[in-house]
Amino acid sequence: MLAYPFLFIAIFFESFVLVTLLSKPAREARVRSLAVSFPSVAVIVPCWNEASTIGATCDSLLALDYPKDKLEIILVDDGSTDSTREVMEQFRSNSQVRIIYKENGGKHTALNAGIAVTNAELVGCLDADSFVEPDALREIVSCFYNPQVVAATAAMSIHKPKNILQHMQNAEYTFGITLRHAFASINGLYVTPGPFSFYRREIVNKLGGFRYGHQTEDMEMALRIQHAGYEIENAPRARVYTKAPSTIVKLMNQRTRWISGFLRNILGEYRGLIGSRRHGVLGMLILPSAILSVASGILLFGLMLFLFARNTFTALEVREGIPLSYAFLPHGTFDWFYLPIGFYTLITIIVLLTSIALITIGRNISKTTGGIFVGLISYTFLYGLITPLWLFRAASDVARGKRRSWRY
Amino acid sequence: MSLVARNALIALGITIAISGTVAYAVNYLNNARVSELSAIEEQLSIDSLSLETQFSLLESAPCDSSASSVTLTTELADFGSRLSYAENQLGSDNSQVIRLKERYSLLEIRDYLITKQLAQVCRTKPVTVLYFYTNVGDCSDCDKAGYALSYLRDTYPALRVYSFDYNLDLGALKTFIAVTKVKNTLPAFIINGKHYYGFTSLPDLEKQFPKGALATTTATTTKL
Repeated sequence: MLAYPFLFIAIFFESFVLVTLLSKPAREARVRSLAVSFPSVAVIVPCWNEASTIGATCDSLLALDYPKDKLEIILVDDGSTDSTREVMEQFRSNSQVRIIYKENGGKHTALNAGIAVTNAELVGCLDADSFVEPDALREIVSCFYNPQVVAATAAMSIHKPKNILQHMQNAEYTFGITLRHAFASINGLYVTPGPFSFYRREIVNKLGGFRYGHQTEDMEMALRIQHAGYEIENAPRARVYTKAPSTIVKLMNQRTRWISGFLRNILGEYRGLIGSRRHGVLGMLILPSAILSVASGILLFGLMLFLFARNTFTALEVREGIPLSYAFLPHGTFDWFYLPIGFYTLITIIVLLTSIALITIGRNISKTTGGIFVGLISYTFLYGLITPLWLFRAASDVARGKRRSWRY
Repeated sequence: MSLVARNALIALGITIAISGTVAYAVNYLNNARVSELSAIEEQLSIDSLSLETQFSLLESAPCDSSASSVTLTTELADFGSRLSYAENQLGSDNSQVIRLKERYSLLEIRDYLITKQLAQVCRTKPVTVLYFYTNVGDCSDCDKAGYALSYLRDTYPALRVYSFDYNLDLGALKTFIAVTKVKNTLPAFIINGKHYYGFTSLPDLEKQFPKGALATTTATTTKL
């Protein structure tokens, strides 16, 4: 019975996303055309020991379909100890590229260092492990034709997913495309992700630049923008690909940082946004839902573990002394009568199928290429099992005041 | 009304509609299960009555009849499994489940009595187990005992197991309990008339059976 309210809320949430996708603002966003006028843009690439990927990241930026005199690429080496500097120097001769070296101070300081040296109208960030499609910037820039918009986000996917964990993340990111597109249409975004989010430079400066933000400077900046009453848009066809953690430990560390950062920001400086009517859907629905999803993820997983342990113990206890050949083999024939279909099971299946539908919608909206089948399979069977691990770890870190290093 | 409020209201409507539809579908499925159980129960009643009638008609030579109560017992066991599943799904306090359990208990008593009569007349020695359990209170051994009996019944098809909910409010069952003199110390077994209380292990339970009763090749099949 404890799970029913959460399942009801999950269906409501997914229904709300679907209805919002069909609403006029989202429909209009989907037919928005590429930018035809070109404000000056600076893309800042903060790097810390990114020698293996920074070259390809920079190449993809140089291949952007945007007037060269309007696009500046600022590579910021945040005190790398590997050969990042040498790779960066290979781009020194390119007139579009500017290189900055500084002592290590964290991603937010690298971004601020980049902003400080540019006069571009729009400033963006691209993580040094991410790559963009040539038309991505024109997709993004067209969002800024609306004067109310001060920030815009892209549509992210995983760069060449290889193992099952990366395929799962790819499906999750595609789900994120749908959510970001839907919520942007009603100004409900609370993260401007590191891979290819853009801002009006004057607003970033007015708001005081990037902050540490509990290791989630992109979320902190988005929350600050929302708190100040500005709008954040999304360009669902602005394709950006990012490297994904390849092991469960790396993924755990990354997500623990994200979730603990979210909790610290939202329960700290920005708790006033929760339930705030002035901040509309963000305050009244999206942030409360996000907090509830963390709580329900931990609670339902705990409940599931408890029930699984109890049922396993009971099953083993009941079967004690019975020959294994009988105890652990299925008996009888298939009969509809014994179909284990109950309210809980059916609702869970509906929530899952709707999630899959939303992932597929995200893939179509963003015109993402590549297969998603393996991603859907791994997302269906793996995501729900491992997500609670980092939810619990992050909540525990926040409760105990524990802070971890940024790198994973 | 704002766009967000309108969307939220529509989403709420969809959520209620989905939840309602699921609740209706699950209820429909459960009703179908109960209907199936009722149909099986009805068929079993007819079979049981038919067997009794045949027994009366062929009083002079009932053992020569092709009629067999083995099939009936097997069907009864299947009905019991389904009823047990339905009880888990619908709850032991569900009125339809209780009604079907009452009918099931009556059919079991009737089958037990016929088996006993036939055994006397035909001089066969079927092995019968009367098993009493309860859903009330803490009887963890009842689950173990039930599973062990299921194993024995599946392994030795000639074994006739009749299970009864000791606390079922049914006159015939109360009389049956009084007649068999089984105490309220559950789980309780009457194996070929011999009383046995509690459950420790399968080997201990097996020891209570008559010698050779649990040998697959020498199973005491009831022949009519």
